[in-house]
Amino acid sequence: MNPAIAALNRLFAWKVRGVRWIEIIGVLLVAAMVFSVYLAKAAAARESARISDLERQISDNGQRVRLLRAEVARLEQPGRLEALSRGAGLGPVDVHRQARAGNLSTLAPVPEPRPVVIAPTVPAATPSTPVADPVGDDQP
Amino acid sequence: MSAHDPHLGPRPVQSWGLGRFTPSWRWLSEAMWWVEHAFGRAHADARPEEDTRVRIFVILSVFSAVFVCLTLGAIHAAVLRVGVGGGAASHPGAVVRADMVDRNGALLATNIVHYGLYIDPAQVWDRRAAAAQIRRALPRVSKTRMDAALYGDRRLLVANRLTPREKVALHNLALGGVSFEPEDVRVHPLGESARHVVGNVDTGGVGLSAAERAFNDEIRAAGARGESFQISIDLRVQGVLENELAAAAEATQARGAVGIITDVQTGEVLGMASWPASNSRNLATAATYEMGSVFKTFTVAAAIDTGRADMNTLLDASEALQIGSRRITDFHAQNKVMTLEEVYLHSSNIGTSRLSTEMGPQVMRDYFERFGLMARAPFEIPSEAPILPGEWSDSTLASLSFGYGISITPLQMAAAMGALTNGGRFIPLTLRKGGRPDVRGRRIVSPETSLTLLDLMRRNVVRGSGARAEAPGLRVGGKTGSANKSINGRYNTAHAVGTFAGVFPADGPVNARRYQILVLIDEPQTWPRTGGFVAAPAVGRIADRIAPFLGVERKADAYRTAVGDRIPAFEDLEGDGR
Repeated sequence: MNPAIAALNRLFAWKVRGVRWIEIIGVLLVAAMVFSVYLAKAAAARESARISDLERQISDNGQRVRLLRAEVARLEQPGRLEALSRGAGLGPVDVHRQARAGNLSTLAPVPEPRPVVIAPTVPAATPSTPVADPVGDDQP
Repeated sequence: MSAHDPHLGPRPVQSWGLGRFTPSWRWLSEAMWWVEHAFGRAHADARPEEDTRVRIFVILSVFSAVFVCLTLGAIHAAVLRVGVGGGAASHPGAVVRADMVDRNGALLATNIVHYGLYIDPAQVWDRRAAAAQIRRALPRVSKTRMDAALYGDRRLLVANRLTPREKVALHNLALGGVSFEPEDVRVHPLGESARHVVGNVDTGGVGLSAAERAFNDEIRAAGARGESFQISIDLRVQGVLENELAAAAEATQARGAVGIITDVQTGEVLGMASWPASNSRNLATAATYEMGSVFKTFTVAAAIDTGRADMNTLLDASEALQIGSRRITDFHAQNKVMTLEEVYLHSSNIGTSRLSTEMGPQVMRDYFERFGLMARAPFEIPSEAPILPGEWSDSTLASLSFGYGISITPLQMAAAMGALTNGGRFIPLTLRKGGRPDVRGRRIVSPETSLTLLDLMRRNVVRGSGARAEAPGLRVGGKTGSANKSINGRYNTAHAVGTFAGVFPADGPVNARRYQILVLIDEPQTWPRTGGFVAAPAVGRIADRIAPFLGVERKADAYRTAVGDRIPAFEDLEGDGR
């Protein structure tokens, strides 16, 4: 007999309590496959629901973003900004007060603020100078 | 089992029918026959158990094959077909129309979900109280429509285009029978700013005018992909143009005004404004004007390009030019023989009339066609056709040379001036960012003529009629135009049009980045009404303000320092043949 057919015969003849092992293995494989398909389907359904939820959230957020962008555009429209700037006393900078970043070193430095000299509030008394009599609360 | 049992051995192939089958079909038929008669053979061989095995094996094989096919199909569907399934069929951010944005992404138009307000009278308990509450929360709702809905017999639309805020206010009333349905509404958050360029959309989401109409299909396609649609407008430039145009128009108490800013190298329109903005008519495309002396630029360009004149050509403007019974004079008569440069700078009608009559109708017509003055401007927004002269006599040629006898749209003027200042290529203006990919520039004058014109226009601002357009360090060039309007067939000095067509920076090579600014003031009421007074200052201010946006740096040129001071050596540059 052909060795391959003999091996096949032995495989089919391999039994436990009258049941072929090949059939047991097949049933187990089918059960595993059914279970894995079930798991995959359940996971896919869960993912699909999550995707749908995320898409809905994206859509809602997109709408909110569009609304906010429209509001920003309305607030930043050039005519409005210019009116506000003029109202705040702002305007184009004179050309003589403009400089490029490269020319910053050539600009005249801002003059240092002059040191503030605090004059003494009470002049130093000199013996030769007559001092007026202080006016006190105890004067009648 | 008898020796005559027909199930013994392979059944001989019957002659009927099989002759039509191919060998593979014959093999299959024989195999099936062999399986079918395995029971008979097994009995004949005294091994009846083999028949069952064979049948089980065959069924197992068939089922295995089916399962393998299904498995392969599942793997193919799950792994190999990327992009199909696995979520929504369309882009989650898909909208009916894409956001329209400017060249830097600033929003010009968008779709916002609004709501329609519906009332089902069967579910309203107290109709009078409901009407009062709804009107308090939404004053704009029509009383007639609300009464019709409240006292009707079926659910009716009461108001549409409710903003989300209005919807929340109404929803918080917790009234029975009040419901909302979403509506996709096109919103232009900039109000009247850029409205002539952006255009409108109908309730079905179809563009009706301007860019919304011109790019309707592309905007919808971009919306389906969840992307924005960019146009060439720069909102910052547009804002400056609108503000300065409005200021100039109000200062001159004008009837209308037009402003156009373009990139002369690409033909992109960076800003387009029509004043008053409340007027739905876009004067830049829908109105034609006789623009006066700006046309001297075209006459001089034609004369230089044909080789008939150069900057040193002398033209006699010492006395009025007589053409038939018509006497042509100068507004600022110099009463002397002038060079071509002086003719341009003093805006001499006599000088340009002499040039045009010398060139003749063929040449003038040819160049006017090259400049795009004879036909409707090719642009995404439909524009008016020019009003052309009926005949091309010497008198007409003289009129044409200084901008009378032909009415064109500001759009045509902007395109023609752009062509003269970009090296001599006519590039149709466009609202498409990056320019029109399907159009190549058409040469209309030589690059040398273009350079000469640029220098001439710059000189006109430095010491000619366009002095008020000067912007320190930005090297503005340009030409003024002033014309009286024809009222009932007669030119009326009380109705004028003042124009300034400027370009900056006017120096540098022909292919340098350069921008054209056109300002036209229609019927100014202040005096003087010439373009040099009513339009040129606006051009200077616009250039000054938009230069930082466009990356144009302040620099010195042959005539002025970077901060606008005079360069004495300029006098030495005179008479250099340009």
